[in-house]
Amino acid sequence: MKIWTSEHTFNHPWETVAQAAWRKYPNPMNPAVIGTDVVERKVVDGVLHTHRLVSSKWFFPRWAQALIGTAKICYASEISEVNPIQRQMTLKTTNLTFCHYIAVDETVRYTPHPSDSSKTLLKQEAVVTVQGVPLSSYMEDLLTNKISLNAGKGRQAIEWVIGKFDTEIKELASSACKSTDELLSQTKKSIDDITTSARRSMDDISSKAKSTLDDIEKLTKANANQRS
Amino acid sequence: MNSIGEECTDLKKKYDDCFNTWFSERFLKGDQDDSVCAGIFKIYQECVKNAMKQQSIDFKEIDKDILGTENEYKTPPNANSS
Repeated sequence: MKIWTSEHTFNHPWETVAQAAWRKYPNPMNPAVIGTDVVERKVVDGVLHTHRLVSSKWFFPRWAQALIGTAKICYASEISEVNPIQRQMTLKTTNLTFCHYIAVDETVRYTPHPSDSSKTLLKQEAVVTVQGVPLSSYMEDLLTNKISLNAGKGRQAIEWVIGKFDTEIKELASSACKSTDELLSQTKKSIDDITTSARRSMDDISSKAKSTLDDIEKLTKANANQRS
Repeated sequence: MNSIGEECTDLKKKYDDCFNTWFSERFLKGDQDDSVCAGIFKIYQECVKNAMKQQSIDFKEIDKDILGTENEYKTPPNANSS
């Protein structure tokens, strides 16, 4: 079993991030997600409960395909709760395909930032368990690194969606407001700041993941050589 | 974004538009009444459930608790079982 966690701050209020989370797909950073469907949704005691089916294409390296087979489309079940009074949004995703060998459970939580309620804190946790196949701990590392890479893209995706909102807001503001210029330049500055820091952390995660993947490949080859 | 069933994509888009507006304009502002989109949701849901049946997707698999620690140290299951 391998656990991966991460925290990130968005420079936007919780309501903006919650709306962006529902509009996240499609986006250029997660081209693998090819479909989302709401299977069930209802409001209970003021909390919005949603059950979604998410379909995506996963590409495993060839050596992994020999072990678990190729699946062109993978399905995941996502259960979420949105509490607008407490300003909390939690999403839990479990994969459905490969359930006999691989279990991936991911939890994503959006809340107001504890030190600045005009910002939003994102906490992510993924638990990966692989069993019943050889090299299971290497597979767990591989999947966890993939999750880490995708998490960086996911954050960029939220920013991209919020960027689209800001375009709509700009259009509204220019037809309504006198302090338009101030609003636009402040928005542009925040977007620039966030994009720069998201890009930096994305590069950081990518290079760490790549060196881990390289290590796994080397170890796999060494292990194969030992056995033969 | 598409639906898993091609025939449901149009319904999905109509429903998503309704939901996104309701979520921003009503739910986040304290209105819990979700009947606004109930009509389109019912039609869309039926389409999705049919598509899932056709593609043999079911949610029963996730009820099996694979992550529990009692499973972690067990002998791996027979590789021939699917």
